[in-house]
Amino acid sequence: MTGIEWILIAIAAIIVITLIVYFNRFVILGQRIDNSLSQIDVQLKKRADLVPNLVETVKGYAKHEKSIMEKVSDARKALVGATDIVKRMKAGNVLSNALGRLFAIAENYPQLKANENFLQLQQEMAVIEDKIAYARQFYNDSILIYNNSCKTFPGIMFAAIFGVKEKKFLEIPEAQRAVPKISF
Amino acid sequence: MAERISFYDQIARNKRKSVFLMILVFIVFVALGYVISMAFTPGDFFFIMIISIIFSISYLLISYYNCDKIAVASAGARPADRNQFRQLYNSVEGLTLASGMPMPKIYIMNNEQINAFASGRGPRHAVVCVTTGALQKLNKQELEGVLAHELSHISNYDIRFMTLVAVMVGMIAIISEFFLRSMWFRGNDRESKGNAIFILIGIVMAILAPIAVQLVQLAISRKREFSADATAVQFTRYPTGLMNALKKIKNDKPMKVSKAIAPLFMSDPTRKKFQNLFSTHPSIDMRIKILEQM
Repeated sequence: MTGIEWILIAIAAIIVITLIVYFNRFVILGQRIDNSLSQIDVQLKKRADLVPNLVETVKGYAKHEKSIMEKVSDARKALVGATDIVKRMKAGNVLSNALGRLFAIAENYPQLKANENFLQLQQEMAVIEDKIAYARQFYNDSILIYNNSCKTFPGIMFAAIFGVKEKKFLEIPEAQRAVPKISF
Repeated sequence: MAERISFYDQIARNKRKSVFLMILVFIVFVALGYVISMAFTPGDFFFIMIISIIFSISYLLISYYNCDKIAVASAGARPADRNQFRQLYNSVEGLTLASGMPMPKIYIMNNEQINAFASGRGPRHAVVCVTTGALQKLNKQELEGVLAHELSHISNYDIRFMTLVAVMVGMIAIISEFFLRSMWFRGNDRESKGNAIFILIGIVMAILAPIAVQLVQLAISRKREFSADATAVQFTRYPTGLMNALKKIKNDKPMKVSKAIAPLFMSDPTRKKFQNLFSTHPSIDMRIKILEQM
């Protein structure tokens, strides 16, 4: 074979390898997004599992707070019954808010606050809340990285070749993101 | 207040600088090999190269596959009990979610000083070790900052990278040593007039190269610390946590650890006041200053 043929083969090989590298890159980054979503899902379910126990404990001390208990239970039902991840995330937000209110109300019941079981549940809920925040952050990071690699050169070329499109961030209602107000 | 540094930029910049430093070590390596091969007959050169490569690769493989065990053993650490250190486990679990990493093994080391280290050849074989002092003296945010810094070393593959650098540095040292030793036996028994200049350059390089690459190695080590700080902020989104932890560490007492594992730690265990070319860690003040700008 002549020198030119070798050069052509080398160029073809480089093109094929680059295509494979970029194709895999999009697949891996896409999977990371799915994985991070399922991590959020796991934490949401874990929290939902703790709710009935919490409601039972609170009932024993604060019988009159029916409306908030119903809200918490309804939010949990919505979460457990949700068929897709977007609905579950929304229900998860509603549950977060309701739980926040419940724990605020619990402050008025010294006996409840002293209950061992309640304290433990409260702590576990706080830990899960943290984990949900972290998992969400990773989800947002993953989408950001994915979108950046679709939009910047040379990724934008390969995105066009493979028909890869930017992914949308899951919309979380603005009110949920705001820092909860603390009133004295 | 200085312009804010985006942590994404900071991470990218640190990676670029590390690659640049790696290339520098490699160039020294090649240049040294070239000069020596010119000074000697090619046959001798290949013999030296083969021996040094076999030696350093076997050294690499052993330490690479056992680095986590070696580190834990020489620090005298014990595995952390999940029930006893629940908050520690919760913090690490949260951070693994934030970084998408698998859960590392967690170890505790009995020591009053606030410190921590990570080891292991990759995210799936990683250990994180914290001192009892860190658990006692740091609050939740500060501890998470420190843990995030250690997890960053794992996710940035710092341990793998530093092992590679150490091996390249080791190879250069071995080749230089071989060259200098062989000079004693050579004397003037061959017509080496044409090679005289190369032998002279070879001797100078063989003396200077190991020192130079070791300085590069230490510079990379310091860069990696900054890089881990930046990644830690990416994980926690809370620079103040790590910053406050570093401020507490600054006023802490020095700790006695084996010199071999000192570079692994979160901050220089000996607490030297000033940073110089031979420091394994950047100065704490500098790290705090950069975190303040994030």
